[in-house]
Amino acid sequence: MSLRALIAAATLVLTARQSSSDVPHRITGDVQRGQQTIVRLECGVCHVIPGIPGARGRVGPSLAAYRRNVYIAGRYPNLPEVLVRFVRDAPSLAPDTAMPSIAMSEREARDIAAYLYSLE
Amino acid sequence: MSEMRLPSALHAAPGSGAELLSELGLVLYCGAGIIFIVVVALALHATFAKPSPAGTRAWIVGGGIVFPLLTLFLLLNYTLAVGSAVAALESGTALQLLLDCFGIDAQKRIPPPSPGTMRVHVIGKQWWWEVRYEIVRGDTSTAVLANELHLPVGEPVELLLTTTDVIHSFWVPSLAGKVDMIPGRTNRLILRANTPGLYRGQCAEYCGGQHALMALYVKSQPRREFETWLQRQARSVTRPDDAFLLAGYEAFFKGTCPDCHTVRGTPATGKSGPDLTHVGSRYSLAAGTLRNHVGTMAGWIAGAQDIKPGNAMPDSEIYTGRELRALAAWLGSLE
Amino acid sequence: MSAPPNALPRPAQELARLEQAWEPPQGWRLLSAVNNTYIGLFYIGAALLFLVLGGILALLMRTQLAVPENDLVDYDLYNQLFTMHGSVMMFLFAVPVIEAIAILLLPAMLGARDLPFPRLSAYAFWAYFVGGIVFFGTIFFDVAPDGGWFMYPPLTSYEHSPGLRADFWLLGIGFIEISAIAGAIEIVVGILRTRAPGMTLDKMPVYVWAMLVVGGMIIFAFPPVILATALLELERAFHWPFFLAERGGDPLLWQHLFWLFGHPDVYIIFLPGAGLVSMIVATMARTPLVGYEWVVLALVATGFISFALWVHHMFATGMPHLTTSFFSAASMAVAIPTGIQVFAWLATLRRGQVQKATPTWFVLGFFGTFVLGGLTGVMLAVAPYDWQVHDSYFVVAHLHYVLIGGMVFPVFAAIYYWAPFVSGKPLSERMGKWACALMFIGLNLAFFPMHIVGLSGMPRRVWTYSDTLGWEQWNMLSSVGAFVLAAGFGVAFLDLLLHLRPKGKVDSNPWDAGTLEWLPLDNYGVRSIPHVTSRDPLWDRPQLREEVERGEHFLPGTLTGDRETLVTSAIDARPQYVLRLPGPSWLPLLAGLGTAAFFLFLTVKSLVASALGGVIALVSIFMWLWQSEPAPSARLYDVGGGIKLPDHMTGSRSHSWWAMVVLLLVDATIFSCLVFAYCYFWTVSAAWPPPPFGFPDVTATVACIASWTVSATVLFLAHRAFGRSAPRVPLIVPIALGTAFAWIAFVLAFRALAQTDVRPDQHAYGAVLYTLLSWQGLHVVLLTLMGGYTIARAIAGRASAMRRNAFDNTRLMWYYAAVQSALGCLVVHAPRMM
Repeated sequence: MSLRALIAAATLVLTARQSSSDVPHRITGDVQRGQQTIVRLECGVCHVIPGIPGARGRVGPSLAAYRRNVYIAGRYPNLPEVLVRFVRDAPSLAPDTAMPSIAMSEREARDIAAYLYSLE
Repeated sequence: MSEMRLPSALHAAPGSGAELLSELGLVLYCGAGIIFIVVVALALHATFAKPSPAGTRAWIVGGGIVFPLLTLFLLLNYTLAVGSAVAALESGTALQLLLDCFGIDAQKRIPPPSPGTMRVHVIGKQWWWEVRYEIVRGDTSTAVLANELHLPVGEPVELLLTTTDVIHSFWVPSLAGKVDMIPGRTNRLILRANTPGLYRGQCAEYCGGQHALMALYVKSQPRREFETWLQRQARSVTRPDDAFLLAGYEAFFKGTCPDCHTVRGTPATGKSGPDLTHVGSRYSLAAGTLRNHVGTMAGWIAGAQDIKPGNAMPDSEIYTGRELRALAAWLGSLE
Repeated sequence: MSAPPNALPRPAQELARLEQAWEPPQGWRLLSAVNNTYIGLFYIGAALLFLVLGGILALLMRTQLAVPENDLVDYDLYNQLFTMHGSVMMFLFAVPVIEAIAILLLPAMLGARDLPFPRLSAYAFWAYFVGGIVFFGTIFFDVAPDGGWFMYPPLTSYEHSPGLRADFWLLGIGFIEISAIAGAIEIVVGILRTRAPGMTLDKMPVYVWAMLVVGGMIIFAFPPVILATALLELERAFHWPFFLAERGGDPLLWQHLFWLFGHPDVYIIFLPGAGLVSMIVATMARTPLVGYEWVVLALVATGFISFALWVHHMFATGMPHLTTSFFSAASMAVAIPTGIQVFAWLATLRRGQVQKATPTWFVLGFFGTFVLGGLTGVMLAVAPYDWQVHDSYFVVAHLHYVLIGGMVFPVFAAIYYWAPFVSGKPLSERMGKWACALMFIGLNLAFFPMHIVGLSGMPRRVWTYSDTLGWEQWNMLSSVGAFVLAAGFGVAFLDLLLHLRPKGKVDSNPWDAGTLEWLPLDNYGVRSIPHVTSRDPLWDRPQLREEVERGEHFLPGTLTGDRETLVTSAIDARPQYVLRLPGPSWLPLLAGLGTAAFFLFLTVKSLVASALGGVIALVSIFMWLWQSEPAPSARLYDVGGGIKLPDHMTGSRSHSWWAMVVLLLVDATIFSCLVFAYCYFWTVSAAWPPPPFGFPDVTATVACIASWTVSATVLFLAHRAFGRSAPRVPLIVPIALGTAFAWIAFVLAFRALAQTDVRPDQHAYGAVLYTLLSWQGLHVVLLTLMGGYTIARAIAGRASAMRRNAFDNTRLMWYYAAVQSALGCLVVHAPRMM
């Protein structure tokens, strides 16, 4: 499972790195809808997330300036497709993570990822 | 929770005491509005018009005595009638006359409790609500839950309100006025809603640090649905078969969870925290603070002090990531 | 019209001597001033400072609540903020500012040179100011109280509020209790005994009536909270369970005692505002107040009714329906006297040609806000409606409309109206208008939305709220309004800073008012004390200004060389004697500092420092009392109009006797509340005394009462013998003997209690019994101190048949303490008869 994800991610990295450094963070999600979804799912319970009222959790890492993070969960490159997957189903990428797999649609995950990439 | 009605005295549930109170409110707002406009107009007129000997003691007698006496006399009687109707008083002849006078018909009145009225004990705690259903009259040991109350539609339910620490106040604005929970006393409140719905309430008496984060939900549902729900709440749970859930079950006992929480059917019999037997079925965690899903559950277990600083639940810092997920998943599976 | 009482020309040196007697201290010695014009201004200044500080706390809260889920302040700080805001505004601003205005204005309105106890006012001010600053300072050290200004136990008891926070609240309230009671004594005795000759009760300005009623209300309303705070501190410090249900106490007892104070307190704050409005309306409309008698009656009626409303703060506690109905009716009834006043003001404005100036705008602002607050007050009196809105933001809206509308607007109207009285010229009209407009808009913008958000389910005292509940837009409006309101205050304060320059000598009547405070004034007050023949003397006798200023009226100079004022009879204001007033002194300041230090160090449990403060306070008070009652001269003084008066009086004509009676009324009310507490526990308990405890020993109780009887009888015999022999004999021996018997009585009472096996920390029964005993013990200590002081005066030759007020006051306290202690012993046994 995670090996396949890694291969997929690597492929993405290889193709994306050919253009400008900004391209990897391009994603087809809606930032504003992402913000609303984060509020609704209460991601702030575990994370400090700029722009989300009451998001002061310290269980997980702070998501401030998320766009500038190099790795996801300390092991995968911080790329859109990886992030979308991690947001929805973190254990599938990192079996030891404390972040549960959270019920949401692909589109919601994309919106959330878009919001996170808007944090500079 | 999109089905939730706004927790507002202005959006009263049909058939509830709050509905009578919001009608009373309308009378009050209109009366007060008219009086206010008249007095302010008089003040402006008196200030800016040419002086006139018309300013006499007759103003005092008329405006200051006769008018308020008449108005207040009517108001007092009307409010006595409304008060007895929402407080579910037995109406004697005099009271009945008063109710008829002001057109408060029997259907709108909250009926006094009878031996068949269902009783629910709601116990205020810093900063959550324990709810105990009397399935067999007098027995409050089986259907125990927290921060949530279900009512069968159209039936009056008697709440017995107590506290184990400081003073709290039970207030679900769409259903009824508030009643305090006072150490050493048992107060009563009869709730009724004639349509299904989900209502929110919040503690109304300042009760210390996290008074702001002490809410609860009241769900009114059709009788059959309610019965199914109550039967499930009364059931005990068993050890899970699924390996992942079993890991969560074991994590529960690895930590200090059982010292404070009960999960009926397991060795966990702690009393100071909420009963978790069917925690997965609830609308919220941390007394209306969080929506209830596996993510908030894990976050609450590991970071209760970030979310609600000062509350009695410690941050559980002993679990591996997988254990935390498993624990949240197991608790979430307790529906 | 008869000729003025004194003939012209006045003796050459008369004015110079008067000026010399009233010469104010200069430079830093100003702090030793005791004159009402100085203390009054200090007092008002301090109260306004606390208004600013309390307002800053409010702005912080409004900023936090402007948006949902805000992180500006955390829950812990927020809880301190709202507790301090309420406590500071009620205890350090509202009550003090009304007493402060009274201290500044009353003597001039009454035609007196000063209030009868200038040093008491000074002491009350310093204790309040120092205590208030320390109390406020706790917010900077994270030890500010966080239990709400109402401090409901058991939340505020030792288990749920460990640490010093709640103790600081109790400390802060202690100061305001002292200064409020001292102020009430000053105001009541001042109004009743220092009015200008001829100013019978029915000729008193309405504001004076309002303050008389308020003084009376303070006497009866503060004792419940004095007792309640004492009980809570006993519970916190020694675990005596007055409010803990599991050991026989009852948290509702606190609520009864607190609101028995708290509701009259609302009227203690509002009635002076109403009195100020009555004065301003009449002047601005240039016509006497329509329905003077009705308004006075309304003030008195409000005073009485306000003591029958307290339970409407407790409608949600599960009271029986009959009880709520009664208090609901009483709460509605209070609208009637208020309605009378409102329509009296409207009729007055209608009748006269209204001057358009800042005080008028503030009065109109008052109408536009207070009336709305009053109407929502009627809604809250409706018990079933109250079940919905109680403890919601609706109540926050209501109380701010009532308190800002009904008290702050009148106070600012008064500041603009009486500024010329202080500095000789009005404040800026332009800035006044701006201040009034901003305050009016800000108040409505800040508080009107709170009605709606309260009805929408938002409870009070929450540090945050969710964005899913429909509350956010209303909260944002409120927060914007709060800053507009603050801007209004800012403009008014700027105006005061720029334009108010207090002067000793003032001759100004810019609004053409009819009452005495607009006579030409100097440090000594009026040059001569006018003979009053009507309610609006300056309107009815235009020549009065010149007559008074030329010294043609009473007491145109100083007769003894001291500061003086005339004491007149309480009802019909006939001159009785010339009261010699004390001059500047550091003792009140020292005593105030000592008192503050005593309580403060006691709170932080540094006992040595606390004892030191207590000693400083006691010694200062004794030294100041030592200088009181100067040696009377045997001669009579001519004050004018053929009236010759002594410079001293004993017995019930003495002003000090009246002060003592007021103090005893306070004492008796505290005691009654304690008896109420005992009976309350008795009625809420299943069995009394609660098993396994018994009643105190009857024999010891009887012996105790007998001992008190002997003690009081000895004092009575001494009183009879006084004047017939040399003063030392009837004073020293009987007082020593009386003290001994008082102590014996106390020991007997203690023994009676010790046999019951109940200890004060076991059960509310024991707690209340030991409190009754402690109250008795406190009086025995007080008698010992007062007795010792009286003996000291006798030894020093400061007591004689003429000079016996110290002895008489001690004697009054003695009788009172004996009766109270006997009743205290008996009431414990009352349940035996049931």
